[in-house]
Amino acid sequence: MASREIAQYPTATRRVLGVATILFVAFYLIWTLLPLLIMFLSSFKDLLDAFQLPATGDWGGAALLFTFEPTTKHYQNLFLDLNFGTYLGNSLIASLGSALVSVVLGSTAAYALSRLDFRGKNDLFFWIISTRMAPVVAVLVPLYAIFRSLDLIGTLPGLILAYTTFNLPFAIWILKGFFDNVPYAIEEAAMCDGSTRLQALRMIMPLVAPGIGAFIVLCVLFGWNDYLFSSIIGSGGAKTLPAATIALVQPQNIQWGSIMAAGAVTTVPMLFLGVLIRRYLVAGLTMGAVRE
Amino acid sequence: MTDQAINTGAGRPAVSPQAVVDAARPTGVRQIDYRPDAFNPAPSRRFYFLMMTPSIVLLAGISIYPFIWLIYMSLHTVGEAGQPDVWNDFKNFTRFATDGKFQNGWLLLIKYSAMCMVLEVGLGVLLAVILNRSKLEKFLVTIILMPMMMAPIIAGLVWLFLYNGAFGWYHWLLQSIGILGPTSVLGDSDIAMFGLVAVDVWQWTPLITLITLAGLKRVPQDQLEANMVDGAGPLRNFISVALPNIYPFLLIAVLLRFMDNFRFIDAILILTGGGPADATNMLPVYLFDVSFQYFKLGRGAAVALTLLLVTIVLGMVLVKLFEDPRRKIKVHGREEG
Amino acid sequence: MFYKPKNALYKTISRRKFLELGGSAAVALGAGSIAVGLNSVITRRPVYAASSDDAKWKQYSGSKLVFMSENTPPSFAIKEKLKVFYDLTGIEVEILTDQLPTVQQKVGIDLRSGKSDFHLNYVQDKPIGSPFADYYADYTPYLTDDTLPQDPEGYGKDVWFENFLDACGHYYSSERLVALPYDAAVACTFYRQDLFEKYSKDFEKDHGYRMEFTADTTWKNLTEFTAFFKKLKESGTDVPYGYAQHHGSFAWTTQLDIQRMMFANGRWQDFSVDDKIGSKTPGPTNWGDKQSVLIMQKYKEHADVCHPDNLANGTIELNSVYQAGKVASQVQYHEFAASIEDEKTSAAAGGKTAYAPCPKGEASWIVNGGQAVNGTNCGIGGIGINGNASDDLKRAAYIFAIWSVSKDNQLEVLKGLGGTPTRKSVLAVPEVAAARKRPTTMPNALTFDAVYDLGIKDPHFVLGPKIPNTNEYHQIMATEAQKLVAGKQSAEECCNSIKAQLDDMHDV
Repeated sequence: MASREIAQYPTATRRVLGVATILFVAFYLIWTLLPLLIMFLSSFKDLLDAFQLPATGDWGGAALLFTFEPTTKHYQNLFLDLNFGTYLGNSLIASLGSALVSVVLGSTAAYALSRLDFRGKNDLFFWIISTRMAPVVAVLVPLYAIFRSLDLIGTLPGLILAYTTFNLPFAIWILKGFFDNVPYAIEEAAMCDGSTRLQALRMIMPLVAPGIGAFIVLCVLFGWNDYLFSSIIGSGGAKTLPAATIALVQPQNIQWGSIMAAGAVTTVPMLFLGVLIRRYLVAGLTMGAVRE
Repeated sequence: MTDQAINTGAGRPAVSPQAVVDAARPTGVRQIDYRPDAFNPAPSRRFYFLMMTPSIVLLAGISIYPFIWLIYMSLHTVGEAGQPDVWNDFKNFTRFATDGKFQNGWLLLIKYSAMCMVLEVGLGVLLAVILNRSKLEKFLVTIILMPMMMAPIIAGLVWLFLYNGAFGWYHWLLQSIGILGPTSVLGDSDIAMFGLVAVDVWQWTPLITLITLAGLKRVPQDQLEANMVDGAGPLRNFISVALPNIYPFLLIAVLLRFMDNFRFIDAILILTGGGPADATNMLPVYLFDVSFQYFKLGRGAAVALTLLLVTIVLGMVLVKLFEDPRRKIKVHGREEG
Repeated sequence: MFYKPKNALYKTISRRKFLELGGSAAVALGAGSIAVGLNSVITRRPVYAASSDDAKWKQYSGSKLVFMSENTPPSFAIKEKLKVFYDLTGIEVEILTDQLPTVQQKVGIDLRSGKSDFHLNYVQDKPIGSPFADYYADYTPYLTDDTLPQDPEGYGKDVWFENFLDACGHYYSSERLVALPYDAAVACTFYRQDLFEKYSKDFEKDHGYRMEFTADTTWKNLTEFTAFFKKLKESGTDVPYGYAQHHGSFAWTTQLDIQRMMFANGRWQDFSVDDKIGSKTPGPTNWGDKQSVLIMQKYKEHADVCHPDNLANGTIELNSVYQAGKVASQVQYHEFAASIEDEKTSAAAGGKTAYAPCPKGEASWIVNGGQAVNGTNCGIGGIGINGNASDDLKRAAYIFAIWSVSKDNQLEVLKGLGGTPTRKSVLAVPEVAAARKRPTTMPNALTFDAVYDLGIKDPHFVLGPKIPNTNEYHQIMATEAQKLVAGKQSAEECCNSIKAQLDDMHDV
């Protein structure tokens, strides 16, 4: 890197640029964190405190944001009175379940697609990914009919299947990329040594395992954050956190305190997962097109 | 290449004869174990097809029936209780010509997406350039990606709280700086759209930053340095060396965001529901209203098909981009010949 | 193991970590997977006309029903009392509550698919009742079925408040009864008596009459009150804005706001049909006539002096503005009184707020020769039975329906979470009669004079068009009115645009 720095002589412009850069980053960090911060703070505030605003232009009054008597009553309300424990469990089971189903079905399909060439393969591949692109609103009614006829409305298996509808195409697409990067030679060698095809597949699984691990986390993220499916297919019987949070918007009483607490409960686990798979996030969110 | 060709693992995603030849050249990144088919233990096609079947069946189940249903519905006036569906001579489609909300919906969707894209790409790339190779890169990236982890519906609720005219902190902030009158962001038909754009920018700029960072990591150092020795400033350096490297990725990101804007309206439904005065009534929101508030399933299906069509076209472009040979070479870290 | 390129698409460093991650995920899932379905159960013991009441209540003991309702106080209160119902009947009821748009969506899909996941529905009169009336079971045969338990008061028009049964129960025909009144939201004026009294003298100096809300206060008076507050505020006095309506975010209430003003001035209506029963083919609309254009002009003039954030406010948002003391009066539904009188959240509590009927029409604004009335409208939530359900399920659902609207239940909801009764007999209870005056233990009762004694009675009562396309109609109305308020179009353009869209919707 040394050679790069030689070219950089400190000039006035450069210094101004440096300060501007720092200011920009600082501003951006505030912009990113402020909504989250207000959400967390409000979740610990009594409603009357949460609704306190300084007068317009009273910058000193901004301290109001931080001056309050912390209370955990909103969290107590969620978990003691409102069954959020169950909803948390539902969110967990549905998103994890769907991630696992997707990874099992997806990796076999992706492996086959990776190893086999046939006419129309590209069309098939495009069709697979296009099932994920369809606007959910457009197909919700027929999907409901299908789920209804299978008696899956309002059940966790139903919700797992619903999440799988968008996680599976994603799984096939991404995992195929992983398998493409494993030379066929390894399986070939194994099979020459007398392994069966399935044994050979098992042999290469460790090579794609890290990718699969990260990918499971991504599927969990997608399922966890879903609202529309949970609201319609989950339909009360399998209520997840986002759907339960929306129900706190009541026509006569928007329970802002509890909403902020529910927001925090929904968001915090995902923040941790985000940190955990930070480096795979790009690949995941661009369907494998971009990798770090 | 015969029908039984086996992917050697050299190219991505599929193997073409050229790719095999390319890969076999010594400039290649990995060793290629390419052998004539005759040496391979005969792979059974049935084995592979069997492996695919469960996924294909599942996906077919959830996509083919809804698609046929959509087409059927779009050609009919869907009856009320006990009434049969009536064929209506494409009226659901011809009415687009006079349906102001439909046309307005497309315009707004494009306008909204375009605004989001310009801001997200501008901010995201700038941020990535600053963060790239900064000592704090890892730490800062971890922080700025937080909004992406939030459920859109929760993000919508939080921003609704922030924008509120009676107790919203952002309302207070905007008023205090003097850019907002007594009317709140979401209550003004001229600025409500910007309010929605801000939420999208807040949530999804990090994606562009991450993608750009990934692209920047791939810019060959020697080229940058050579350029600098030639006396190029950082800006020219960025435009002539870095940008060509990251632009294919950006294109993909932009397309993906476009398609997501078609699919996810959670936050918009919560924030404005399309109002005020239709100022944010983008097509997916309109579609939601037609299908689930008016229950005009036929009309809704026709609207949905237009949305689906555009999505599929965008999707095809996207897949072409995935296969862009130039980009592929970059992915594998090879220089262009 | 094999040659790994420098720029490989993944790195091995974190492989173990992710393997562990995947493993623990699998364990977590394996730990337990439960299925909670919406399965209904029906078990029946035959009963006869001569059987005891107890046997009639208990005939479906062991059954399970699902009730899809809006997340309003009565539903929460009923939820609390499910144990009582279970003890009485042995029927288990699951109550699912959601926001109205979600309820509309779910109920719509359920009814249209010919299924009955939800055996009982919250039938909000226009948003749910009008489009789906035909999918609901007809109560009529059950009301006289002596093998079913029945309410001692009966279900005639007289036991409910005037117009309630028609509002939520009859659609397009007076033969079929598809819902029983479960809760009500009737519009009235909430105003800050303290502020109105304080500035009344100043107002009187300018205008020559007192600034107060009575049954004779007209829309013109209201506009003057509102303008007065605005002027006062702009001159630097620390007062809130004068008045606010629900111009935004929730199409139905925006439409109701316009309708009150239109109806007050000459009992003008959107369509020339029987308002209370409604029509599937309402014919051409009256929008665009001289009366409508004039009133929309007045509506715009009024909106200009109202709270400037009106376009962001639906019912609940506006209510919180009023609670925060940022507006001196508002139109609001009487069920909101409880939240206004709550000292913990409201700056308008503690005797500061008074309740008045909706404003009256202004004689000089009436060009169609009609009468000036206190145009009042409402949302009457009924409880309906899914017509797709089996006969036994319907009968079991009926038992729950009549129980949920019984006098005792309504009284308890009123006392507890702040409900809004639909039965006259509830008001006759001495406890309730006393609560209509301050100090009160049932804040909603403070509105009863304005609402039950005047607003909901003819000729003031307007139901609004009951048409199958009602939700689209609401959206059209709200959008065009918002454009008018935002200054994007004139009153005449607004009316003509509404007319064009409504007539197109009805193919006339």
